[in-house]
Amino acid sequence: MPITDPLEEEVAEETRPPHAGPVPQVVAALVALAVGVAGAIGSFGLGLGELTHPGPGLWPFAISIVIAVLSLTLVVTGRGLQDAERFSKATLLTAAGLVTLILLAALLPLIGFEIPSLLLVCVWLRWLGKESWRSSIVISIVTVAAFYLLFVLLLQVPLPRLI
Amino acid sequence: MDISPILDGFGIVLEPSNLIYCLIGVIVGMLIGVLPGLGPGATIAILLPITYGIGPVSAIIMLAGIFYGAQYGGTITSVLLRLPGEASSVVTVFDGFALARKGKAGTALGIAAIGSFIGGTVSILGLTLLAPIVAGFALDFGPPEYAALGVLGVLLISSIGNGNKLKAIIAAAVGLLIATVGRDTFTGAERFTFGSLNLAEGIDFIPIAMGLFGLSEILYNLEERHNQVHAPAKVGNVWPSRKDLGQAKGAIGRGSLIGFLLGVLPGGGATLSSLAAYAFEKRRAKQPERFGKGAVEGVAAPETANNAAATSSFIPLLTLGIPANATMALIFGALLIQGIQPGPQLVTEHPDVFWGVINSMYIGNILLLIMSIPMVGVFVKILRVRPAILAPITVLITLLGAYTVRNQVYDIFLVIGFGLLGYLMKKLGFEPGPLVLAFVLGPMIENSSRQSLLIFGGDPTGFFTRPISGTVLALVLVVALWPLISKAVRRKPAPVPAGPPADPPVEPPVEEKTP
Amino acid sequence: MTILVGYLPTPEGDAAVEAGLREGALRSERVVIVNSPRRGAPVDEHKIDDDASAALLARARAAGVDAEVRQPLHDDDLAETFESLVEETGGTLIVIGLRHRSLVGKFILGSEAQRILMEASVPVLTVKADR
Repeated sequence: MPITDPLEEEVAEETRPPHAGPVPQVVAALVALAVGVAGAIGSFGLGLGELTHPGPGLWPFAISIVIAVLSLTLVVTGRGLQDAERFSKATLLTAAGLVTLILLAALLPLIGFEIPSLLLVCVWLRWLGKESWRSSIVISIVTVAAFYLLFVLLLQVPLPRLI
Repeated sequence: MDISPILDGFGIVLEPSNLIYCLIGVIVGMLIGVLPGLGPGATIAILLPITYGIGPVSAIIMLAGIFYGAQYGGTITSVLLRLPGEASSVVTVFDGFALARKGKAGTALGIAAIGSFIGGTVSILGLTLLAPIVAGFALDFGPPEYAALGVLGVLLISSIGNGNKLKAIIAAAVGLLIATVGRDTFTGAERFTFGSLNLAEGIDFIPIAMGLFGLSEILYNLEERHNQVHAPAKVGNVWPSRKDLGQAKGAIGRGSLIGFLLGVLPGGGATLSSLAAYAFEKRRAKQPERFGKGAVEGVAAPETANNAAATSSFIPLLTLGIPANATMALIFGALLIQGIQPGPQLVTEHPDVFWGVINSMYIGNILLLIMSIPMVGVFVKILRVRPAILAPITVLITLLGAYTVRNQVYDIFLVIGFGLLGYLMKKLGFEPGPLVLAFVLGPMIENSSRQSLLIFGGDPTGFFTRPISGTVLALVLVVALWPLISKAVRRKPAPVPAGPPADPPVEPPVEEKTP
Repeated sequence: MTILVGYLPTPEGDAAVEAGLREGALRSERVVIVNSPRRGAPVDEHKIDDDASAALLARARAAGVDAEVRQPLHDDDLAETFESLVEETGGTLIVIGLRHRSLVGKFILGSEAQRILMEASVPVLTVKADR
């Protein structure tokens, strides 16, 4: 299917970050291999049964073997693949975002959803989105107020809350 | 054919509440199609908890609206900014942006909207006629057929999608494995629960979908900041001239057909069909060099095809219970949540769902045509919104939404966990789509293959001797071995050292963001 | 030595270019027209397209001034963007347009002009739009 156009390359260029090299590829494949092996051991322990009376472990065992074999192939053949993206400084943003999510989940049952949500939105706007202080604060207050209105007052969802 | 259930379906759609859900769905779809970042898959995943609150028909009408609405919206960014909002609009970029540069952006958008409308409508007509027939044929299917079909579906989606096939199949197998967590329905044994009560119930579909599709995409987008800002484009007249319409007519017709056919195939879907339709038009054109320089057909064909495909991909879901792509897997999950098993019985057991959803698409396409021609200016303005402002709001919707399903913080942690997994998968070149799809189909494949083994008295060759399951399994083998076969075939003719291979594989230039 | 002119496609922006070019002709200095869009959104209505920037350059040529258009992206730091351009191009003067804004508008959006005035290391010339 010949789609040769300079634009195509430009489009591809704009969206593809630099690739990550062989180490993450091999690590990813090894993790998958470990999942396969662990799955196989675990399901063997459950009992495979026989084909006339399949045990609870037969099906997961079969899948785990497939995972293990394919991952092993990937370990061997996948070193040169270029479809993994490099973890860069920007990855720290994602890590920071993830921490705020975990904090929200941990604080939710303790102090209700309002304050954790407010903090989450504010942090995401100010540091991850590089908005100004002023708009970060205004938008986060408006957002939480809207959520309160929607979830608590209109839909009457039993969210843990402060007020 | 008895048409009274079809007419009843229209009655259901025309209920004011369903009309509103259809409208909300297509507007949301259009919006997220325009905005870079969240794709329709992510949006549907994030909104899954809503399906608990509203009835099954309304829920599916809305989610379907998001799906095909996004196909319309994706066109706008392709044409105006050379930025395909969705993978299925990638090829539209070539001629759409060239037209925009000539000051004919409006023409491109108008032609695309008309093509999308025609493609969508033709496809719904096909769906209306074909779906009951397929469903009737599939009624005799037994467990072996379903096991074989499920395996074929998983395999096709893994191997037709973008990216590395091996990785996709590994992801799918991990999805099958995750689906086994919990109590075994046959023996009652607890599998991979590690003594946890939460895990004993199995892992719910909603947190998996919300995490792998929704949250992972938000996390992934945090890193990717668009460093290009465009000046506002002049859209101009959206109504295409008679000459442009005449030029696009053939492309729209062929695009509808290609889209409908490829959309039905599992794994085919909108992206592949838009590529195929574009290539087909270019190949049969008298002056192929016009393509890429502002040929109206180059916009009409892929946009028509991706809409037709989006619609026809409902056929395997509604008739066989096999989702044709990852987004259909989400709708499959949404139906299961409502206690409705998609499959051949759907049309007889739940005609309201079946015809309600299909007929809502006629209405939805009309709404979309209105939104994308007279109201296109409104949606163009949305491009000025900074995604960074929307990201925390979507995150909050995701996390709190996940909580509301069962009022458990455990579910929020599951979403975060799967969000992280999905993010890492994306970074490392694994598509989360096959995993979610395999997770959805996993229990069906396992249960029906175990039932089949019982039927066959433990003889696995039984799968191959039944005509339908045998044929399907033969197809499975062909798909599984296809890379080897095509390699062998390609190696035979004398290799040409210089110059590109005669038929390079279809690879869309942009990675698909959660189809 | 250059003169930096903040430009947005508004009457205030045109007035700033007008004043900047006049100063450029007087002092025989180069003029750098800064049209800086906000990073993040795919489209910023303040960004000008190639035709508009060609028109600006034509205006400069008609005034007998050597000029260029720069379009650096900024986050929440337009003043710093200007500051780094001053350093890079050896700026001696910044010219910006001012518009009247209500008290509420100022509170919500802040005033970029005020921050440039406060933080710039070179003199700032502010102009109002022609009536």
